Amino acid sequence: MIEVLAWLVLALPLLSCLALSLWPGEPPKAYTRAVGLGLPAIGFVLSAVIFAVLLGRDAGDRTEVSTLWNWVRSDTLSIDLALQIDPLSVLMMLVVTGVGSLIVWYSTEYMDHDRDYRRFFAELGFFLFSMLLLVMAANFFFLIVGWGLVGLASYLLIGFYYDKPSAVAASKKAFVINVIGDVGMVLAAFILVRELGTLDYGEVFAAAPGEMGMGTGVSEMVAILLFVGAAAKSAQIPLHTWLPDAMEGPTPVSALIHAATMVTAGVYMIVRSNVLYELAPYASDAVAIVGALTLLMAATIAFVQEDIKRILAWSTVSQIGYMIMAAGLGAYSAGMFHFLTHAFFKALLFLGAGIVIHALADQQSIDRMGGLKKHLRVAYLTMAVGCLAIAAIPPFSGFFSKDEIIAYSFAAGDLGVVLGIVGLVAGGLTAFYMFRLFFRVFHGPEPEGGYDVEHPHAPGPAMTIPVVVLAALAAVAGFLQVPEAWHPLEDWLAPAITAAPDLHPSGAQILISMIGGTALALAAIWFAHWMYVADPGRRLRMAGTLAGYRRLLHDQYRFDHAFEAAAVQPGRDLGDGLMATVERGGAQGIPTGVARAAILAGRGLRLAQTGLVRTYALAMVAGVAILGVIAILVVR
Amino acid sequence: MGEQILFGLASGAALMFGALVITLKKPFQATVSLIGCLLAVALLFLGLSAPFVAAIQVIVYAGAIVVLFLFVIAYLGERPLPELDNPLARYEVVGWVALVGLAGQGAVLLATSNLTGLWDQPTRPDDIGSPEAIGRSFLDDYIVPFEATSLALVVAAVGAVLLAKRGVRAEGGR
Amino acid sequence: MMETMEGVPLGLYLAVSGALFLMGLLGVLIRRNPLLLLLAVELMLNSANVALVGFSRHWNVTDGHIFALVVMVVAAAEVVIGLGLVVATFKQRRALDVDRMTVLKG
Repeated sequence: MIEVLAWLVLALPLLSCLALSLWPGEPPKAYTRAVGLGLPAIGFVLSAVIFAVLLGRDAGDRTEVSTLWNWVRSDTLSIDLALQIDPLSVLMMLVVTGVGSLIVWYSTEYMDHDRDYRRFFAELGFFLFSMLLLVMAANFFFLIVGWGLVGLASYLLIGFYYDKPSAVAASKKAFVINVIGDVGMVLAAFILVRELGTLDYGEVFAAAPGEMGMGTGVSEMVAILLFVGAAAKSAQIPLHTWLPDAMEGPTPVSALIHAATMVTAGVYMIVRSNVLYELAPYASDAVAIVGALTLLMAATIAFVQEDIKRILAWSTVSQIGYMIMAAGLGAYSAGMFHFLTHAFFKALLFLGAGIVIHALADQQSIDRMGGLKKHLRVAYLTMAVGCLAIAAIPPFSGFFSKDEIIAYSFAAGDLGVVLGIVGLVAGGLTAFYMFRLFFRVFHGPEPEGGYDVEHPHAPGPAMTIPVVVLAALAAVAGFLQVPEAWHPLEDWLAPAITAAPDLHPSGAQILISMIGGTALALAAIWFAHWMYVADPGRRLRMAGTLAGYRRLLHDQYRFDHAFEAAAVQPGRDLGDGLMATVERGGAQGIPTGVARAAILAGRGLRLAQTGLVRTYALAMVAGVAILGVIAILVVR
Repeated sequence: MGEQILFGLASGAALMFGALVITLKKPFQATVSLIGCLLAVALLFLGLSAPFVAAIQVIVYAGAIVVLFLFVIAYLGERPLPELDNPLARYEVVGWVALVGLAGQGAVLLATSNLTGLWDQPTRPDDIGSPEAIGRSFLDDYIVPFEATSLALVVAAVGAVLLAKRGVRAEGGR
Repeated sequence: MMETMEGVPLGLYLAVSGALFLMGLLGVLIRRNPLLLLLAVELMLNSANVALVGFSRHWNVTDGHIFALVVMVVAAAEVVIGLGLVVATFKQRRALDVDRMTVLKG
């Protein structure tokens, strides 16, 4: 029964996309709302039913594979169009359809005054379908298919305002970088096919330890190549530069795709492939280090951003760094736990930012905000919950999930200790930049010259209710896992995470992470308050300090410049060179030469066109005579 | 002996009238010569046991077609061409060479052909030239070409009408 | 085996046919009056008919006669169109000289 439900969950968003796309002309908004929101919401209900059914079974009996048909059959390789329903994919389904439905609901009001209402919801439906395919696939083949399709959906939605050059550039950038990741995934799949002859999850994970071996070059290579895909999709160094630019898309898109779901696909993939990563210790360490570096780098960049959505984008990069780090260190369930809470509070923060942006007529600079506390009461309170959650203040959800990651890191050897300290410090940085945003938007003086609108208007129910629901989830979701007390999420995921190392943080490690993290966060919040609220002028007086470093941060550590110099400009030069030589000389030169020869020949032959009928007759007779001679001499 | 005499007279007449057709400069005289040539060829057909074709040759060719020529000549009037410079004078030698070449080829072909019975006494043919035989052949084996010829005639008639109409307009009529 | 008869061999008919054809060809090449050109073309068509009927008797089949009749029909159509063109061009140009009709010069 749950197999049918699973296929329905996958099909409903696609159906919504098709029903909206194929409607002739612009459908009525009520229809768009009903279809665009209703079908994914039904998908969420069905996912919940699947979850309940699985919950009723024994832990060992919770994995089901449903094959629709055989997709590829060649010699020894056979690929099925199959879904895998297990605790991990059900968790992802619940988040994707649940948070997805909330954000679609929010969008019905947010996009109300925007253009292309239908296209927006059709593309959201397409994204939900792709994302569900990604998380429900039962083999690497359809994982990659979903991987590519979410990239396409992301491209379409970042470039939603397709007549805005910056949005188009951002969408192209996102697509190109994601394709780099896709190539890595595909190469990894090739190696798997060569080594194991299958792409099916079950078979791969069963055969990999025996066939590929522990710590061998092949295992490391597969893990690294898979991580290239994960790094591109989840915006890890050095493939992270697309995500901040992706904020060109509408805010609900940023919330859904570029914060809550798609960008965490890399985390999902690493957790799903935990068997492969446990076979590759060096690759896993590299993953963890990249995650930690990303975490630290993104947190610092967020210090100097002025665009509210870019701050949240860098914050997303940073938070995914936590998850990647946890996955690299073997704390898979901790990574998934942080994924879950992050989906709630980051979606909440984006939607709250969306309320602010909406209220200020699309103003995104926090310089033009301030003192909004009294105008946007709901946004103020919910954003406060979100900021406390991401800053890991107890008892909000981020406290439990982030501190669990740090505690597990301490338990994961020497490298883990170093990375755990990085995580702790970055937690403090996170608290600072989030409350910098919070204080500058909601507290402090109103901007000089007033807001861009007469009076910031409060949002309607369709925007308020999802935000409140998410705020409630962000506040309490942490209690899913309380250290030393209970850990239902870890138990739930256990059947899917078969190879996790046995990490047991000691009580001291847990205490250090909790107390240290909370103390740092509180100090950072106090600092932010001191700087931005206690004396609003202080910020301006301090603007000159650390100017060089601030410039580096503004340039976002010059990754874009480096790419420009290392890849884009050489590519452009190569193109120019080929244009000058191959194109002009060969590809274009040959046809032009042929055409010129034809023109010259025509000019010459024109002389034969005397217009005198008798010359034609004469030529014909002469030709026949010559042919006759040839025929007599040769044929006879 | 009958056929030999007929052939000698008819072929001689045909060649003589043919030469006149291309040498006489007045169209009327040339057309009358063509009538003679066509009648001589009809005689050749008779000698070849093709009485039906011979009859059609006389009726359609010498009758209808040549009358059409004469009609047009009468309509346009006799106008000998003014002796202009001949723009093709320098090519004429090529034409003569080609003609001589073609004639030589024909002679060579006739002389060296290995076609059986080319120079033998002919065999007596069956009833192949009677109207009945030709009618059967047309309607049994050649029905499509038969219909195609009728189509060609219709097209020619329509074309002639169109040409004539344009001519009327060029003269300022209508 | 067919019964032979007193008659003229096929080769002589073909020779006459070829001679007539060359005459027509010569006429086409040397004449400048379109009416005379058409007459020369008629000569060439007739020469072909002689050859066709001659071969028809040689092989003892009717097909050559059929072709000869079709050629006549085509000749009739050709004459109609050709004379129509001659009349039409004459009305526009008041001259009967194919060497003056050079509108299609390249």
